[in-house]
Order: sequence, then C-alpha cells, then structure tokens
Amino acid sequence: MNRQTLLEMLQQQGVTRRGFLKYCTALTSLMALPPSMVSAVAEALETARRPSVIWLSFQECTGCTESLTRSYSPTIEGLIFDHISLDYHHTLQAASGTAAELAREQAMHENKGKYLVVVDGSIPLDNPGFSTIAGISNVAMLKETVANAVAVIAVGTCAAYGGLPHAAPNPTGAVSVSDLVPDKPLINVPGCPPVPSVITGVLAHFLTFGAIPELDELGRPKVFYGQSIHDRCYRRSFYDKGLFAESFDDEGAKKGWCLYRLGCKGPMTYNACATLKWNQETSWPVESGHGCLGCSEPNFWDAGSFYKALSIPDGDYARAAGYAVAAGVGIGAVAGLLNKNTKANAVAKHSSVSVDDFAVNKNNNNEGA
Amino acid sequence: MQDLSDIKIIVDDPAVQSGNLQSIVTEIYHALKKLLAKKNIHRIDLRAMPWTAGEEQQLEQILGVGEVKIEMNAMGKSIFQETSYSGVWWISHYNDEGDVISRLIEISYLPDMIFAQQEDIKSALERLKNNL
Repeated sequence: MNRQTLLEMLQQQGVTRRGFLKYCTALTSLMALPPSMVSAVAEALETARRPSVIWLSFQECTGCTESLTRSYSPTIEGLIFDHISLDYHHTLQAASGTAAELAREQAMHENKGKYLVVVDGSIPLDNPGFSTIAGISNVAMLKETVANAVAVIAVGTCAAYGGLPHAAPNPTGAVSVSDLVPDKPLINVPGCPPVPSVITGVLAHFLTFGAIPELDELGRPKVFYGQSIHDRCYRRSFYDKGLFAESFDDEGAKKGWCLYRLGCKGPMTYNACATLKWNQETSWPVESGHGCLGCSEPNFWDAGSFYKALSIPDGDYARAAGYAVAAGVGIGAVAGLLNKNTKANAVAKHSSVSVDDFAVNKNNNNEGA
Repeated sequence: MQDLSDIKIIVDDPAVQSGNLQSIVTEIYHALKKLLAKKNIHRIDLRAMPWTAGEEQQLEQILGVGEVKIEMNAMGKSIFQETSYSGVWWISHYNDEGDVISRLIEISYLPDMIFAQQEDIKSALERLKNNL
C-alpha cells in the first residue's frame, strides 16, 4: 500500500490548509463525531494512505450501491472514492469478465493483508449455483477474497443479517456475511438500503483511523446505530404526551403526532435516519408521515405487519402518568417502561398483513398492553 | 427548480416541535459564558440534530444577523456569519456544486479557519520568492 497520503493528494490538487480543514470538518460531521474531533481527524488524515477496497455484490438488488452513488455531496463522497482505491466493484467498474476477475485477484495479491472487503447481498448456501459471478459461487468468492483482508464491511441488511433473501421461506438458504466470516474484524452497516452518508462515514472512519469503529452487539457502529429511531425522533415529544395518529389521514396525522399506533417500528430500530435524513437531508420516512419499517434490524421482513403497532400504551396511560408525577419520574420514562414490558408480547402477536392493518381502529388500541 | 433545497419549507403548524430548539439556545448560552470566562471555543454540529421541518430556520431567526459576514472560497464556498449575539457564529460550508456539506454554530471570538494557516503562508512565501 505504498500510495500517497490523503494530504499529499489534496495538496497536489491545489487544496489549501483551509480547504483541508473544511474537508475535515465535513468528514467529522459525516462520521457522526463531535466537532471537537476536527483537529484529531486532520492529524490522522495527514498520514492516512489510500486503502485498496474490493466490493463484492451477491444476492442483492443493487439498492445499496444506488444509495451510495446517488448520495448528493460530490465533494465528500467523491473524495472518499478518490481516496480509497476501489479496485473491484462489478457494477461500477468498466472491466468485465476475465479482466474484472483479474483486477480482483491483482488487488488481493498486491495488498495482501491490507485490503478492505465490502459486501452487499446475502450468500445462498442451498445450491451454490443460485448466484455466481464469472462461474464462481458467492460462497467461494467470499471465502477466497476475505482470506487475506484486513477487515470486512457488510453493507445493507442482506449482507449484515440475510435480509430479504433470508426472509421466510428463505428459498435459497441465504445467510449473512457474519455466518461465513467468523474470524475477521467485521462491521455491519444494515439498512434497506443504508443511509448513504452512513456507508461513506464508516469507510471514512476506516480510512481516517485505520481501525474499525466501536460496535454494538449486532456488529453495527455505535456512532450511527447507537440510539433508536424513537429516541432521536422529532415526534418523540408527542409520544411522551400520549398524542398519537390513529389513521394516516386523521387530525393527529395532520398535526404530526406520533405514528406508534400506526405500526412505527422506531422504538426497536437503531439507525441514523432521524438525524442524517435522506435526499439531501430533505426528509425521512417519519417526517413524510409513515412509520419506520425497522429495516436496519435482523429479520425485519418477518416481524409481522408494517402497519400493526408494536405495542400500545394501555388505557391506564393517564393513571401511569399520575404515578410518575407522584414518584417524580418523567412521563417518558413511564412510557418507556410500558413499552419495554409489552414489547415482547407485541412481537409475539404479529401476524400476516391484511387490508385491515392499514386502518387502525380504536378497538385495537388496547392490544398488546 | 434547480435543486431540492429550492423547495421552500413552510411550517404550517408551529406546534410540531422537537423540543431541541430551546436546548440548543441553552447550550449556546452556557458556551458563550465559558468563552468569556475561559476563552473556551465550542462548536455545535447542526447536522446531528433531529429537527422538525423549519425548526432550523427558526433557530436562524432567533439568533439573527450580526455585524460581520465572511465569505471563504476553499473547495467551494463557506459563509461565516456572526449572529446578533456577539461571539456566536453561524457557519455554512458548501461544496463546489453549491450543496451544503456542513452547518455549525461556533462560539468563538473569530472562527479558527479564518486565520491564515501556517502551511499556506509557507507556500505563499515560496511563490512570492519566484516573483522577486
């Protein structure tokens, strides 16, 4: 990896120190680090060298690559691409067939023990012939490629947890990267697709610090997946006040109240949508009036109807709030407790989707409580 | 329409509030106190806030416009706008295509990035030498 440092490359392009600091400021924000880290990021980037990246796409819809390449900040994401050496990505590279596979083998050989492997898509095990690239089965290509990699990044819920191909009845016997790669540093970046700046943020973190970020128990970087959608949701204050939309066109929905009773999976979903948002930071599902689907969680597709509430605060909400006041506990804490107690029941009660699920009537408001 | 940001956001129900607006103003208040007492610089990444539509504009209105506005051109435009509260700067960084890539509030006497940088001065000296 005898490549230029990032700083050298920027200097060659005529970028001033101010420009470099501005780049570091944006990058620090992209990595979801506090602004006080800018000087540490600058210091690390002065000596960072371009890592070789091999991107493998298996059973996937290309949505993750679309998400990444349609991200809007050419300066940031563009520079990320300039400053990693993307040596193999069969959707994006110009080469095809034998030449493409040669590029992969060459990158593996030249950067042995130092290259990064990014995977999107799950891997079918029932029959290796279900998904092949240049006649090589997905499982064989994954194992061969990760053997001398420094770390692996599983991008998208399919690579991280099996995703849609893994959903019942899992016709291809799809498994996740972690099922097949137990002995390498692995970062899961789930989402269907993941937020583009989360993908680039994780790449930037590796590029900057040469190490993987701190992960949660599901292998996700805590900086992006450390808090639930519910905890970061701007509608959270309505939840705390017990103000819920009961259908998609009622007064509550128009007033922007909490979508919990319409099936929002925000309380059990850990992702960065609520702050980073989508489409040039324009909006995100909840801001557009639809509950979170929970797409960054394992088995989200099999977790029951998207429109059935996870759990619903019971009719005693006001009474519980009274106890809270008496005990000096915030109403949010009580709601959290109610939620915690009933979440397991609610998950167990999930059933298949029906037309009725699209209109939550008042009769099932007490369900799950 | 050139860009998604050209779509004007109209807040038709001011009751929809995340509650973060007041928290930020409080954070700025305490940071400004620290600047005065200990010269501590503080930055707030506005991108990391879960805002409701229009809330950021409300914050901009609350802080208002002060006496100094600095425009920098380094890998795209940057605007350093002093707010009506001295020592509180509203900073917007844009890329070459004019998209916002970073928005910050900095509590400082003058944003660090404005000062001429050692490395750039060294390179300026080299270039000037060629013109002697």
